Parts: sequence; C-alpha cells; structure tokens
Amino acid sequence: MSELAQLSIDGRIATLVMNRAEAHNSMSLEMLEVMHSRVDSLADSDCSVLVITGAGRSFCAGMDLKAVLVELSGDETLGKKLLTSLAKLTLKIRGLGMVTVASVNGAAIGGGCGLSCVCDVTVSHADSKMGFPEVDLGLCPAVIAPWVVAKMGAGRARAAMLKGGIMSGAEAAAIGLVDHLADDRDGLAALTAEVAERLASGGPKALATTKGLLNQIDGTMESEMVMKGAELSASVLATPEAQAALKARMKPAKG
Amino acid sequence: MIEVKTEDSVTVISLDRGEKRNAMLPGMLTEFESAVRGIGEDSKAVVVNGKGKVFCAGFDLKACAADESGDTMRALLTGLSKCIVAMRECSVPVVMGVHGCAIAGGCAMLGGADVVVCERGAKLGYPVVKIGVSPAVSAAFLMSAVPHGAGRALMLDPGLIDGSRAFELGLVHEVVEDAGAVDSRVMELAGSLAAKPGVGVRETKRLVNAITKGTSDLGGDGLEASLSRVGSDEERAMLGAVWGS
Repeated sequence: MSELAQLSIDGRIATLVMNRAEAHNSMSLEMLEVMHSRVDSLADSDCSVLVITGAGRSFCAGMDLKAVLVELSGDETLGKKLLTSLAKLTLKIRGLGMVTVASVNGAAIGGGCGLSCVCDVTVSHADSKMGFPEVDLGLCPAVIAPWVVAKMGAGRARAAMLKGGIMSGAEAAAIGLVDHLADDRDGLAALTAEVAERLASGGPKALATTKGLLNQIDGTMESEMVMKGAELSASVLATPEAQAALKARMKPAKG
Repeated sequence: MIEVKTEDSVTVISLDRGEKRNAMLPGMLTEFESAVRGIGEDSKAVVVNGKGKVFCAGFDLKACAADESGDTMRALLTGLSKCIVAMRECSVPVVMGVHGCAIAGGCAMLGGADVVVCERGAKLGYPVVKIGVSPAVSAAFLMSAVPHGAGRALMLDPGLIDGSRAFELGLVHEVVEDAGAVDSRVMELAGSLAAKPGVGVRETKRLVNAITKGTSDLGGDGLEASLSRVGSDEERAMLGAVWGS
C-alpha cells in the first residue's frame, strides 16, 4: 500500500506529498499521523527547504468529512483527535529550521488552505481553488485562524474567514494568500522548482536564524492560540447544527 | 559619503557614494545616523535619497570580504540598525526616494522611512542569505510595516522584486514611472508635509510608532540574530566564494 504522505529528498530540498488523491488529500487521522512522522524525520536532515504539495489534482480538501460526521464515523471523539493532530502538525511545521513552501496544485480548502498559510511561502496557479468555507458548513476555522491572520493580516483574514466560500488562485494572490502565481496548472511545477531552488541557494543557518526571528516577531510559536483553536473548532463541529449541515453536504457526493 | 542640505524647512540627506552604487561603509552609516539625529527645529520634514544611478546596493561586500575578522560586517549591521532606529525616532516625517535599486542593507533602510516613493522598475530585496548573512537586523521594522506573511516570504527569499510588487506588498507607498521622477515627487511630498501645522504631523508619527512598538522593539533581537552569523564558517565561505580575491 502506498504511503499516505510521501517524503523525498533531493539535495537540500525535501518534498512532502499528501497522498490520498481519491479523497482530494483530505485530512484523515491516519494521513496526519504519517505527516507528523515524516516532518519529525526532517529535524536531523541537511535540508534547507521543504515543499508540501498534494498528489493528483488537489492540494488538500480540508478535514475528511467522513471522519468528522459522527453518523458515518460512529466515533464522537474522532473530530477532536483530528483537529488536535492538525494543530500540533502546524506548530511542528512552523517550528522547522528550514523554509517551507506550499505548492498549491489544486483545491486547498479549509484546513488545507490553513496548511498553506503555515508555510513561509505559497506558490499556486491562477485556476487553483482556495478558501475557508467552514462557516458555510456551520463550522469554525479556529484551529487555523492564527496562521491565516499571520499570513494575510488581520483585516483580510477576518473578511476571508467570515465570508466563507471559495476563490481562485488568482484572487487568492491578490489578497496575499499566494506569494508566487503560475498562469496555469501546467506551469506550477516549474515555478515551484524555481522558487525552491532559489530559497535553497541561501545559507541554511542564515535561513534558520532569519526564520527563528520571524517566528519570534509574529508570535506564531506561542502555541496556546492554536491549541485553543483546535478545541473551539471541535466544540463547534460537535453541535447538532454543524452535524446536520455536514450531513446535507455529504448527500450529493453519494449520488 | 553623506550630503546634508536644509532649505525651506526640508532637510535632504543623500547617500553620496554614487560611483560605488552608494554601497555602505561603516563610516557612511555613522555619518547618516548623525545627520538624522542632528535634525533641528528648522526642519519639518526629511528626505532620504541616493546620488548617482541607484538608491543603494547594500553593504560594501568587497570591504566585508577583505576584513577576515568580520568587524566590518559587524560595524555595518550595527550601524544599519542605528540608522533605521534614528529615522523611526526622528520627530518629523522621513520621505524616502528609491530609484534603480534598494538591495539588502539598502532595502532595510526602507524600514525606517514613513513614506517611500519608488521607481516602478527599481529592484528591491534581501538576497543576503546567499552570502550566509541573515537579514534579521531589519525584520522587526519591515514586519511592522507590511503584512507578516508577505514580509516573511520576502525576507527568506533571496529573489528580488520590482517597484510594482513592492507597492502591492505595502513596502513602498507610491510608484512613479521613471527614475528621474522620484526626486521631484519626494521633494513635492516633503514640501507639502513641511507646510502642514507641525504638531499634528509630529504627534501622528509618535502615535504610529507607539502602536507598532511591540514589533519594532524586537529590532535589537534582530540585530543580535544577524550578528550571530558573522564570522561563522557558512558566512565566511559563502561571502568569500562571491567576493573573495
């Protein structure tokens, strides 16, 4: 069986591919656990750049709805476990002493879009789909909100998370969710490689020192907000209103 | 290496080493800081610009590479930090004009300015990680001016951006089409600032400094972070590979 998250290393550049293409790389607890383990394994590497991307046509469609809909999973605790695991993973990625790049190849939705905000640099293409539709499903993007605010600034993050919905990669670039934009999907791999190689041309220790200071400046390693966010997201997820909205969303997918 | 002129309540401080693309030397930064600290009652606005073809190409790396002790690089980082702080603490607004390029230490200077006018085609950025140096020294000032995500992506990336992109990010506040138009626009802006009742302008600058204090107070930590890399094997090897004789 293929791994749920595959790590490869080429010189100073590591690439982590979320590999659940049949489910648009949505976050199952199992996939998050493999991602934890792969990121842990980087701590002692010589890599100075980590690229995170998705297998197939999506980056990451967010939480695995089958896992968070209690009627389907039969496990009331799964949602909180998943959100807690995601919160810890985001802190782990932010704390890496290397530059992280999200290569958003397709849909980056909810937690998937939040994962791109954790990375230092986001590369995407004009036709990707990004956004925070949590509120459309009765959910709250609390677990990723600190990263979204750090990425876009509080004003734009406030509007994006409260409006909900999905935007194109081009629109995402215009509001600061994307730093480097390819014209189309076909151009993304080359642009990602160009950015990753340019970043890797920096001195690894100079990069790590700079990143450490940036983390200090924006306070993003103060984990309390992220862990509290996971709790809030889980408590909203458990409400009957949210569960009913999720159930309604699941139906068309079955047909 | 610095020219200072005051006329009609506007003090113009110019980087004056045009033949070397205004590359910074420790003495030049000392002169610059003194000029800013010396702004008196007769000035109601300050203009900072560069003579010659570009605003500033950054530290004089030839001088840094030649000094194996690392003291030149240390003096430049410390001097740069003092210049940025002096501009922030200057009681009257600082209007900066950027033409040609503002690279590394040159781009860091933007962190001290209140209003930046930039040529659309100018090149800006912090490519110093390529020589094993951390741009942390100016990060606190940059990050109190632009959204943190954009600042983060810019500071870690040795690539350069142009004036248009710098405007989108909020790093510069006005873009003009030609290098030749930068000076006239900054003089016009400074003149209009100097013509306003001084108290409102001074108090507004003081207020914005207070609002962003939490971030800019980390300037000292940023300087320490940058200094921590000087003299390291990585810095010596990477700097030497580019600039060594």
